[in-house]
Parts: sequence; structure tokens; C-alpha cells
Amino acid sequence: MKQLYNDFFGEFGGRYVAEVLRSPLDELEGAFVEALSDEAFMSEFHRLLASYVGRPTPLLHAENVTRDVGGAQVYIKLEGLAATGAHKINNALGQALLAKRMGKPRIIAETGAGQHGVATAAVCAKLGLQCRVYMGEVDMRRQKPNVFWMEMYGAEVVPVTSGARTLKDAVNEAMRDWSANFADTHYLLGSALGPSPFPDMVREFQSVIGTEVVSQLSDLGVRPTTLVTCVGGGSNAMGFFSPYIDQSEPELIGVEAGGRGPAQGDHAARMNGLGTPGIVQGYRSLFLLDNDGQVMPTHSVSAGLDYPGVGPQLAHLGQTGRVRFERATDAEALEGLQYFARKEGVIFALESAHAGMVAIKRAKELTPDDAVVINMSGRGDKDLFITARELDAERWKEFLTREVESL
Amino acid sequence: MSDTTRIMAHVIPWYPDRAQSMDAVRGLVDAGVSYLEVQFPFSDPTADGPAIQAACSDALEAGFTVADGFAFLDEIRSFTDIPIFLMSYASLIYRPGVQAFVARAQEHGVAGLIVPDLPPDYDEGLYTACRDAGIACVPVLVATSTDTRVDLALSTRPEYTYVALRTGTTGSRTELGALNMGFLEKLGASGTKIFAGFGIQDAEQVQALAPHCEAAVVGSAFVRTIAAASGGGVYEAVKERAESLLGRK
Repeated sequence: MKQLYNDFFGEFGGRYVAEVLRSPLDELEGAFVEALSDEAFMSEFHRLLASYVGRPTPLLHAENVTRDVGGAQVYIKLEGLAATGAHKINNALGQALLAKRMGKPRIIAETGAGQHGVATAAVCAKLGLQCRVYMGEVDMRRQKPNVFWMEMYGAEVVPVTSGARTLKDAVNEAMRDWSANFADTHYLLGSALGPSPFPDMVREFQSVIGTEVVSQLSDLGVRPTTLVTCVGGGSNAMGFFSPYIDQSEPELIGVEAGGRGPAQGDHAARMNGLGTPGIVQGYRSLFLLDNDGQVMPTHSVSAGLDYPGVGPQLAHLGQTGRVRFERATDAEALEGLQYFARKEGVIFALESAHAGMVAIKRAKELTPDDAVVINMSGRGDKDLFITARELDAERWKEFLTREVESL
Repeated sequence: MSDTTRIMAHVIPWYPDRAQSMDAVRGLVDAGVSYLEVQFPFSDPTADGPAIQAACSDALEAGFTVADGFAFLDEIRSFTDIPIFLMSYASLIYRPGVQAFVARAQEHGVAGLIVPDLPPDYDEGLYTACRDAGIACVPVLVATSTDTRVDLALSTRPEYTYVALRTGTTGSRTELGALNMGFLEKLGASGTKIFAGFGIQDAEQVQALAPHCEAAVVGSAFVRTIAAASGGGVYEAVKERAESLLGRK
């Protein structure tokens, strides 16, 4: 039987935190292990996944893409059709229910692009929990629509003005809040990283993605050759891969943000020798660090992949070779976005579009008896302000100008 | 004031720049503080409050590197033999290798290391490396630490233990309540010498702590003093603030 709580994955993971965070993390570990083996808790989780989140999300046979590529059958797990537009809500719901069970009425969360913040804010509204979201000032400016939605759900969005004013700084600020307020507060971390038990917990709540894929493929009589998904911190990847990680098949490919290229500061890829082993924000993994151990700046067109560390279990699976890592650049992600929109009528989130492009390349090398499954972890509506500017700058500018004038 | 009133003063090299941070050190030493806690700035200091985090960001922007940090310690050593405790985060210690970092600290005359995110059960060999190098490894506890956690820290037989008095991070005023005092008494009975800090802003707090610990740690109060005096007069301002906290003015 698979183990719920691992702490370490090979040499990665752990709970490297200041003493003040020990008791909340110890308490959380106990509550998480207990809740996941409680049938009543899990049935409530699954009830809300069905009625509120909209699960199961569909598995689409991308027939047009398959024909066009001329290799393997291509399938797309439309995870972006979950409520609030991405896989993030699976974990947000699970942890919020856990917080309720632990008697913690206040939720804090970090967010980068805003997807985890929106999911958390929505779930807190649904479950009647108080919600505060920390968001870097730079990200708040870039992702104004998500700030608007979080506030619509009744969350308080707090700008973080320290450090690089992006996701990692929002994590620092959330940890600081938690240090002071853990008696009544749960820190709802959004990715499969951070100090234990977060990587284990986030994987378990996200594993519904992989579990559905197994059953949907089996209904179709399809055996997957390859699974492909994008990797920021690793929450969608761990959920999607989780039923398969202890088997030798199918092939698992994680796609990181290649950004503008491999120069320092131009990307957010940590695998394949670009990252170094380090201990940052409570866990040991691979990070983008300078020679002193300072965290380096990153870049990606997709804010959701723009984080300097990778989840510890993925770092381990990369080391053992179970998961192969590739990169897609900003330009490739934008190309993928347009390709799937036109060919298949599906708009990928920019994060997921990274995986789409790598999946097509892989599918071309395979035969029609093979099947490649892409996890579209999010849908692309949220990226409107970024993609329109990148792809149709002139007309977008005209529109925005008119809008401003009409205000 | 009693002559047992001792302060461990916290400083950040390169905040706001190299010269002024050294002025601050001279001011502290001349005022008569007993220990220095020199924090090597890290980009993501999760256990620090906003004032110290901002100061660390400024120091990194001003060009601080670890090599500069050790040269800074050498310069301090050239004019005083005050015990220096080096505080930083796991990332900076782990990157070059824990043993290599500890050896370097020892070569530069450091009395002990304080690394809040390398607790004894996730220490990457830090406690052993310090013992082998003959320098102190200072565990960090909080007043709400459970008996198990306290016993774990004490099992390393620490010469010094750092106690974060308030639940939360540095920078806001701490009430020295019964919980804190009771904790210090109990811990002190084990024989470890206690550095107690977080949020200390005035002489009254330093006085109240004096009988319960080896030294009161003052950090963000000096950061604020330095910020206010930056551009001219850091030495005088810091010296005066330290003297006032020691009850000598």
C-alpha cells in the first residue's frame, strides 16, 4: 500500500523550519493522516468535488490533433474545466475541509498568478471560512482580474512588498502570518512543496486527477504510453502522475518553463542540471541558487511556472529517472496555445500549453497504437491580458484605450 | 542597573552599506554590548520580521556576498574580541556544504552558529560539525515549544540556547509575560546559557530579562536606529541607543 506520509523522498523533502512552526506542522501531519483514513471526511470531499468543483473533469480524445500530428493518439485531460478554471481547487477544497475539521476558522494562502488564491477564496466562501491571500505586489499588478475575483469571493488580498514581490515572497509572508496565528489559522499551501506534510498532503488531494485518468482510459480500453504535464511547484504533476509513479509504465514527462532561454534569470527550469540542491522555504530540493545559496530571479511568460524551486517528490522522481523533464520556451507555449485552440477548440492556460507542445513532439515519434495524455491543468481565460498583448498587441491596445476613455 | 545586564546586539553587514554597518558594530562595541549576532543576509528569511527582512534585502542589493561577510568578521576581530555569533539560514550553510561552512566560520573566529531552519532533527550534520570544530551550535526555541522539543534541543548539550520570546517573528513589542518567564526559568535550570530576544525595544524589557538569561537579544530596534541615522551619524546613534538599552543613559 502506498504511504500517505513520507516526509522525505530519497534525499529531498523534510521539515526545515524555525521552531515556531514545528507544532503547527506536527499537528497538521497528525490531522492529515487521520482525515485521509476517515471515510466520512473523504466522502464529504468527494461529494463536494462532484457537486461544487464539477468532477470528474472530461478526458478528450483530441482527434484533430491526432490526425494532424500523425503519430500517437492524443488525449487531453480537461482539468481546466474544474470550477475556478484550474486543478488548484482540488487541493484548496481538501485542505479547507481539513482546516474545518481541525477547528481553524481562518485560512491564509499565498498566490502567484492568482489561480490558487482564487480557488482558495472560492472554497472559503463555500465553506464559511475567513480568507486572507498574500500576493506579491508585482503579481497583483500583472494579475488584476484575479485580485478582483478573490475580493468578489470575500477574501482579503494583501500585497507583499518584500523581496522580489512575487510568489516566493508571498510564501514567506504567509509563513510569517502562520507563525503568529496558527492557533486559529490554517496555512493552505497551494503546491506540492514546502515543509512536510505539505508535499504529501497536496499530492493526495490532487491525486483525484490521476485516479480519474486511470478509470477514463480504462473505460476507453486505452493503455497510455506517455503522460505529459507542466511543472511549476508540481501540484498538478504529482496529482496526475500519482497512480503511476510506482510502476515502470507509462512514460512520465514533466515540462518546465524554458522562458527566453537557458541564461540565468531567463527561465524557471530546475531539472536537468540547471538547479542545485538546496534548503529553502522549509524543504530540501532543487532550486535556482547562486554560489552563496541566494535564491535567483526567474522568468516565464506563465506566472504559474515562475517559481525557483521544484517539489521534493518530483526532484526525487527526476533523479531516479521515473519522470523525464523537458523545457518549453515562452514562444513555444504561445504557439501551443494557438495550435490547440484552432485544431481542437480548447484554450489552454499558458502553463499547460508548455506541456501541449512537448506532448506533440513526443506523439510524432510514436505510432497510432500509442497514446499520449496531456494534463491541461488550467484553461486559458485567465491569461487574456497576457496573451492578447503578446499575440495581438495593436488591436488589444486600441480596445484598452477605448475602455479607459469610456470609464 | 545591575552589572548582569547584558545585550546580544544583532547586526546585518552591508545594511545599509559596508561602511555604515561597520560603524554600527563599532557603536555597539563601544557602548558595551556583550555579544554580537551577525546575520548574513539571505534572500528569503522566513523566520524574520518585516524590518529585518527589508534590511537583508537592502544589504543584498548593496552587494553583500558570503565572502564579504567573512571579511567583515575579520575586520571586527581586528579591533575587539567580543564573541561573535553568526546567524543565517540553511540555504547559505548547505550550499557550500555544512562542514565547509562551519570550518570557514571557525577560521574567522566565530564563537557559534545560529541557524533557525536547521533544528536538531533536521540539521544536516550541523551540530556534529560544530562540535568537531569547537564552536557552539545554538538551538532556537520558542516559549511555546513542547517538552519533547526542549528535550531534543537540550540533548545536543548546548552551551547556549536562543529563545524567541514571542510567538511570531521579530519586530513587534513583546510582553514579558508569565509564560515567557516560566519558560526561561525552566530552561535555564538545565545549565544552558540563554540568549532571549524578539521584539525588545526598551531598557525596561532588557532589565526585566536580565536575571533570567545570559543576554537579551536586540535586533530590529537597532535596524530602526540605523535606518533613521543612515547617511550620517550611525556610529553615534547606535552607541547612544545601546547605552540607553543597557540603562547607562
